[in-house]
Amino acid sequence: MIWEVFRQEDAGDYHEHCGNVHAPDREMALMFAEVQHARRKPTNSLWVAPKDEIGEVDTEDAKFGGTTDKSYRWASTYDFEAAASEVEESTNEQVEAERRRKVQQDKQEAQGGD
Amino acid sequence: MDIEEVKRRAGPREFSPKDDLPEDYRKAATRMIQFHANSEIMGAYLERPFIREAPSLDRKLATSAKVQDEIGHGQLLYRAAESLGLKTRDEMLDELAAGEGKFLNCFHYPMNDWVETPMIAFFVDGAAMRRQATLKRTSWEPYAHAMDKVCFEEGFHVKHGEAILHELMTGSKAEQEATQEAFEEWWPRIIQFFGPTNEKSTHHGFASEVGLKQMGNDELRNAFLNAYIPKAEKYGLEIPDEPRIRENDDGTYEVVEDDLDWDEFFTIAKNDYDGSHEQINGRKAAQDAVEWVREVMDEHEQRAMGGTQQQAAD
Repeated sequence: MIWEVFRQEDAGDYHEHCGNVHAPDREMALMFAEVQHARRKPTNSLWVAPKDEIGEVDTEDAKFGGTTDKSYRWASTYDFEAAASEVEESTNEQVEAERRRKVQQDKQEAQGGD
Repeated sequence: MDIEEVKRRAGPREFSPKDDLPEDYRKAATRMIQFHANSEIMGAYLERPFIREAPSLDRKLATSAKVQDEIGHGQLLYRAAESLGLKTRDEMLDELAAGEGKFLNCFHYPMNDWVETPMIAFFVDGAAMRRQATLKRTSWEPYAHAMDKVCFEEGFHVKHGEAILHELMTGSKAEQEATQEAFEEWWPRIIQFFGPTNEKSTHHGFASEVGLKQMGNDELRNAFLNAYIPKAEKYGLEIPDEPRIRENDDGTYEVVEDDLDWDEFFTIAKNDYDGSHEQINGRKAAQDAVEWVREVMDEHEQRAMGGTQQQAAD
C-alpha cells in the first residue's frame, strides 16, 4: 500500500507533499516516512495519508477561477488613492495571483489548441 | 496521448501519473529509472562491507550514513519507476535478484580494499551526480522529484569520498602507491560509466526525444573529465596513459574510445561478468534472508485492508 507523505519544516508552516512510501499500515508508514523523508531535511511534523484517499481535480477538469471577466472582485479595480499599507499588501498579492493565473490559463489554452 | 504529442511537449517535469502516456514512453522511462534504482541498491551493497572495514569511527559513521542514503535513493527511484504503471517494486527487486535487472558497470567489480573506496565515493558518485543534476529536468515528474532529494543528499557522498582521497594521498608512501594503483584499475571503468558514444548507444535517441534524458553520453563524459581530471591531478594522482585522453584547444577533453575494453563493458551489460554473478547473488542472499519480513508485512497489510473494507461496508 502506498502512503503519501507531507512534511512541515517549522511549526506554523504548511505541510507540503514531499513523496511517498510503501507501508502495510499507518504506524509503519509514519515510521518509514520518518526515515525516508525526515532523516536529513529539517522537519517539525509529518503527515501520511493513503494514496487512494487523496482526491484531485486539475486544469483538465476545471476552470479554476472561472472563464468570465471577474475584475470586479480584484482590489486593483478600485484604485482611488494610496491605501493603508495592509490593504496595499493585499492588493499586491491579488495582482500577483491574477497575473499567475493568466499565465497558467494562456499556457493551457496553447496546449489545448494543438 | 500519442508519441508525437509526447515529443512535442517533452519538457522538464512535463508528464505525471495522471497523463495518459503511450506504452513506448512508459517502457523507456521504466527501463531507465529501474536501471538507476538497481544501481543505487547495488552500489550500497558494494560499499556496505566498508562500514566494518572503515579505519576510524568517523569514517564508519559516514560510510554507514552513506549506505543508508543509497538504499533510500533506491526506494525513491523504485517508487518513481512504479508510478509508470508497468512494474511493481517487488517485481523489480525480484528481477534484480534473478540477474535480469541491469545496473551500472562500476558496481559489477569487487571492491576489496579501503583505498578503493574513493574510486566509488568520489569519482563514480561524482560522475553520477553530474548526470543526476541534469535529470532534475527529466520529463517524468516523479523521477525529477526523486532527483531533487538524491542530489540534496549526494553532495555529502562525493565530498566525503574526496576527503578520503585527500587523506590517503597525504598519507604514507604505501598508502599513496596503493591509491594510485587502485586509481589505475578503476579509471577506465569510471570513464565507461558514461557508456559508449551517443552513436553507439542503443537507447539514447528516443530517451532524449521524449525528454527523459537531458544530456548525451559524450557531453556528460566531457563535463565530468573537465571537472575531475584537474581534481585527480591536484591530489597527486597520475592519469594512466590509457585510455588516451586528448585535450582540445578549448580545454575540453576527448577519450580515444578504442583504448577501452568494450567487450568487457557489454559482457557486464548482460550481467555476465564474474563480478556480476558475485554481486547479484550476494544481494539475492540478503533478499532471501529477509523474505519472512516481507511475508509478515504483506499478511499484516491484507488483514489491515480487510478491516477497512468491512468498515466501509457498514
